[in-house]
Amino acid sequence: MAIIERPAETPDARPAGTAQAPTAATNYGYLRRPVETTGWRSWAFTVDHKKIGIMYGAVAMFFFIIGGLEAGLIRLQLAGPDGTILSADKYNQMFTMHATTMVFLFVMPMAAAFANYFIPLQIGARDVAFPRLNALSLWVFVFGGVFLNTSWFLGGGADGGWFMYAPNSSVPFSPTNGVDFWALGLQITGIASLVGAINLIVTVLNMRAPGMSMMKMPIFTWMAFVVQMLLLFAIPVITVALFLLMFQRSFGATFFSVEAGADPLLWQHLFWIFGHPEVYILVLPSFGIISEVLPVFSKKPLFGYPFVVFSGAAIGFVGWGVWAHHMFASGLGPVSVAVFSVATMAIAVPTGVKIINWTLTMWGGKLKFTTAMLFAVGLIVQFTIGGLSGVTHAVAPSDTQQTDTYYIVAHFHYVIFGGAVLGLFSGFYYWWPKIFGKLLSEGWGKWNFWLMIAGMNLTFGPMHIIGLQGQPRRMYVWTEFRAGEGFFNLGFWNLVATIGTFILAVGVLLFLVNIWITHRPGSKTPPAPADPWDARSLEWITSSPPKEYNFARTPQVSELDEFFHRKYEDVGEGDSHEYVQRMTGEEVIQHEEDNADPNIHLPAPSYWPMVLAFSLPIMAYGVIYNTLLIVAGGAIAVMAMFGWALEPADAEQSDYDPTDDGGETSKELANV
Amino acid sequence: MSDSVITEPAPDAVDVVEDHPAEHAGDDHGHDDHAHGGHHSSLGLSNNKLAMWLFLGSECLLFGGLISTYMLYRNRHSAELGPDQLWDIPFTSASSFVLLTSSLTMVLAVSAANRKDLRNTKIFLGVTALLGGLFVAGQIYEFTTFYREGLGFTTSLFSSSFFTLTGFHGVHVSIGIIMLVATIGMIQKDKISGDKAEAVEMVGLYWHFVDIVWIIIFTLVYLIPA
Amino acid sequence: MIVRSATSDLQPPTTKMQAVNSTTTVNSVTPRARIARLSAVAMLAAVVAGCAQDAPQDTWQPAGSNARQINDLDIWVFSIAGIVGVAVFSVLGFAVWKYRDRGQPIPEQTHGKPALEIGLTILPALILIGIAIPTVGTIMDLNKTDDTECIINVTGQQWWWEVDYPVQDGCGGIEEPIVTSGQMVIEAGSKVLVRGTSRDVIHSWWIPRLNGKRDMVPGRIHTVRLEADEPGIYAGQCTEFCGLSHANMRMEVIAMEPDDFAAWKANQLEAYASPDEGTLAAEGEATFITQCSRCHQVDGLTDSGGELVVARPDQNVWSGAAPNLTNFMTRNTFAGATWNLLSNECWPDVWEADSSEVGAAYLEGVSDSCLNEVELREWLRNAPAKKPMYTDPESLEETDGLPRGMPYLALSEDQIDQLIAYLLERK
Repeated sequence: MAIIERPAETPDARPAGTAQAPTAATNYGYLRRPVETTGWRSWAFTVDHKKIGIMYGAVAMFFFIIGGLEAGLIRLQLAGPDGTILSADKYNQMFTMHATTMVFLFVMPMAAAFANYFIPLQIGARDVAFPRLNALSLWVFVFGGVFLNTSWFLGGGADGGWFMYAPNSSVPFSPTNGVDFWALGLQITGIASLVGAINLIVTVLNMRAPGMSMMKMPIFTWMAFVVQMLLLFAIPVITVALFLLMFQRSFGATFFSVEAGADPLLWQHLFWIFGHPEVYILVLPSFGIISEVLPVFSKKPLFGYPFVVFSGAAIGFVGWGVWAHHMFASGLGPVSVAVFSVATMAIAVPTGVKIINWTLTMWGGKLKFTTAMLFAVGLIVQFTIGGLSGVTHAVAPSDTQQTDTYYIVAHFHYVIFGGAVLGLFSGFYYWWPKIFGKLLSEGWGKWNFWLMIAGMNLTFGPMHIIGLQGQPRRMYVWTEFRAGEGFFNLGFWNLVATIGTFILAVGVLLFLVNIWITHRPGSKTPPAPADPWDARSLEWITSSPPKEYNFARTPQVSELDEFFHRKYEDVGEGDSHEYVQRMTGEEVIQHEEDNADPNIHLPAPSYWPMVLAFSLPIMAYGVIYNTLLIVAGGAIAVMAMFGWALEPADAEQSDYDPTDDGGETSKELANV
Repeated sequence: MSDSVITEPAPDAVDVVEDHPAEHAGDDHGHDDHAHGGHHSSLGLSNNKLAMWLFLGSECLLFGGLISTYMLYRNRHSAELGPDQLWDIPFTSASSFVLLTSSLTMVLAVSAANRKDLRNTKIFLGVTALLGGLFVAGQIYEFTTFYREGLGFTTSLFSSSFFTLTGFHGVHVSIGIIMLVATIGMIQKDKISGDKAEAVEMVGLYWHFVDIVWIIIFTLVYLIPA
Repeated sequence: MIVRSATSDLQPPTTKMQAVNSTTTVNSVTPRARIARLSAVAMLAAVVAGCAQDAPQDTWQPAGSNARQINDLDIWVFSIAGIVGVAVFSVLGFAVWKYRDRGQPIPEQTHGKPALEIGLTILPALILIGIAIPTVGTIMDLNKTDDTECIINVTGQQWWWEVDYPVQDGCGGIEEPIVTSGQMVIEAGSKVLVRGTSRDVIHSWWIPRLNGKRDMVPGRIHTVRLEADEPGIYAGQCTEFCGLSHANMRMEVIAMEPDDFAAWKANQLEAYASPDEGTLAAEGEATFITQCSRCHQVDGLTDSGGELVVARPDQNVWSGAAPNLTNFMTRNTFAGATWNLLSNECWPDVWEADSSEVGAAYLEGVSDSCLNEVELREWLRNAPAKKPMYTDPESLEETDGLPRGMPYLALSEDQIDQLIAYLLERK
């Protein structure tokens, strides 16, 4: 499956020139491999991690908008007492789907987008370990997300809350198909995450550039690696829970039926054993992103890199031992409650360590407040608030007053929006020039940032008060009577939260405007330099955007922040440090290109991942509507897996040849 | 071409169950033929094998969840339809022995593959698949017997958990059989280029895992009294 | 692997310094950033100051020993969290201001100071230990319920609470079981043990000013200790998502002086008094028997043949029960404590009475001049239109045709008049 054979004509040859014309293949397996290098087919059947990353990001952004619209409707309903914008039924679907969409169809895939795009680049690889599996993850996610949302048109979305407690999730209490779509949709997207996790773990462990030990890896890759390990072990647990739910709803099992002797808390335990690692899955990638951004714009390395790495791993480990803090009011005994309470406090330590490390990175630095940096600092501020409110819930007795109220809603929005999402936006602004070849506008970016900060604090800040003063969550109406007296009563704060939502929405909209301004036809934004931020890590030793093969020459790594050290040298003596720039970023890149590898292997595109992915929603529709569809989907899946396994592997037999050398030579396609 | 020596350890994108020695025939890479899932790997374990180990790690959690559910619900059944009334320990012991033996033949298949003895590889893979099939047949016989005696999937929480747990295991065995047969076919048609031993090893890892899970299930479900 | 020397061969060292890239005018933002940060802090302070007064479910206005214990712990923990927050923001704010790019050279590339990092790891750990110890103590303390002497059962059901008082020596002595719904009456100062469960899905019993919440799980019995210092009305809500009308599942605890409580008990157990013959209420009694008594129990009600009328909600409602209406008008909320039985004029007399008068005001019940007739009529006219429930016959396949909630009864206005007259006498 390696394809480009670049003949070693001269030692200094740039990786250009015509590639060997591929010979006619004698055996294509079941389907010809796709050959297009332009147009939609070059995206649909690609196995290039960069294109896959971009598609992950685009689809995730689409679901962000959907989830945001759902949130807007929720807040409109709650702007005043006894709202009538949404019926109780629609409201219950709305908050369930809002959360499910945001968690599973926005934050996780967006983090996957960054991980897919940048892990190979940051470790000096040309692609991930299993490129077709990577494409499979993408398409499974896309089809799963679409499948889940078709529920809106097929009887209503799921309406049991995003953690779908039993027995409310069983058929007598949730008679529509919404919960079935939810369970099956999440099974499908779970496959995407699990497969992606295996792929990226193997990539990180096995495909690092020579000289890059684990402790010289860029920190984003480290955090994303911890996340993949969490996914690897957490997804199977929710898989079990979802199967049990599916068997209950579709095949009459009684796993959650109290009349049959079941224990409703079984669901809660299974769900939260997944659910708690899940929240670290949501936030650690963003921690990784800002751990990249802060050093670059402070002109200092990350303070305490080993501590940041170990605290990330510690969060990953300890995160498995705190799940029942979601269940303090569920009827666990006092000993369990005490144990989980203390464990939850313990996990605040490695998290707090990161805040310290980030602050100390900035300390003594030379801070440049680009939009990416603003978002990174914003994350520190907002996540600190969310983390501190989290510590207050770790105190189990307090939590019995706080759980299921808006105080919890405030907490998790501060950590997820203020943590995970702000980090993602920091990543957008930081890495945009590398991915798309143009810098996003800093002017629009500032407006984007400040409106998002203002909006998010106006929306979620008051929720602390609303919750502590007694408003429970998941209620389609709130009443005047329970809103208290005075100007600043709960009614006032509910209205403020709704107004904040719209400011937040405008802020997010400005991000889309920024993209449009930058990329629209006739835009005056110039192409970005390869190293616009004077960055530190390996992914910047590439053109903007990177060539298909990423690196002209596989980098030799000798230390952390390899790129920085190639540009700058410490000429101070003894204790004094004086940094001299010896090369610009462009010069480093040029040097690499001048010593390009003569032989570059790249993986070939394939139809099979999409075909296999497509079979999954078919089977899922079959579970809900007609068993024949399960058989049909299963047959497609089996055929796809065989086709995949039998797909020709050899370069000479492949008919794909992207001569990606900046267009100097024409693209040559197979003539069979 | 000193550069190529340094750069050849470059990470190579490889897909599952695939190998590509042919294209390297003309290269002067000078790499050796070890760990072919990714020429040189930082960990010393090929991409494919590492992937299988990771997958099996996640499967531990899957079966862990199913076993926990079973252990919670193992006593929730009527007086007439519980383990004491239904289990036929000698029969299940025999089918467990069959599955264990299939692990032995699997080891022999891997050994043959490492020796590049393709004929015996195929034979041992075939015997493994047959023994696996025998195990599955035994399971089916057992389950239909239980069903006739009144234990259906939805009869009780005990029955639902039991059939879910053993059913998932049975499906894993069946998929393993398909993988074994497919491997035989691909060796036969020379579709596994390069290191066939690795492909056989990967299937072997999976097969042994499925066997170990069965040992745990057999112990917890059948042997330890409720 | 000697990349460095390779590169230095290519280029002579340039002048010491700076990033080559010029960037946009970002540094001019910094003073603005500082102002914004300050205003954020100010906003936070304003937010803290601006709270609702007299919010009925305010967790920071404890009115009983359990809630107070929790709140005391809260004050300790929130203070620490606040101090930590201010400390972090101060350091961050300072760093953002002091180290902004003013043209200084590339700073020292400090990779870390292990001693500092270890110290700053131990410090939060110590703070958390300072929080953990009182937490564990409070958990164990709050778990103690052996000083309770009054047992009241609650049962959650979609979407209302049943409250019943079993026969016991506690609660000042209960000779016969009392069954009511939506409002739990207790003696102020008495130590009550609420034992709760559910008939269908998981609900949660939460009276914020008295104690934290506890989930009410079908198949299990969970306990909550309640103690109110002063007479008063303490509002609560179901706080575990339980389906369609989760928002319409509320309850109140009414605490009263011992004398008042004794009077309440006695009233609850008074024998049934049939309406006088020929009155609208008497017609209402007959209508009640035909239209309502399938599900709703009124103790002592007899039919025309003198037979006791026994409600069979277990055959007519999916979850098996419906509110007992024997003493309906001694409560002042209905339909899952969602609507007031008292009109807007009379409502403050009870709900805003101070603690010395609230018992007497509550015991007056709902008179016909104080009845919130509009809402009660709407309910009787078409309950599912008023409160979302699953009662549409076409959608009840999964529940064997049994509704979850009160169905539409197609009562005529006359029937409603009769029923209201009858219900007004249920005191």
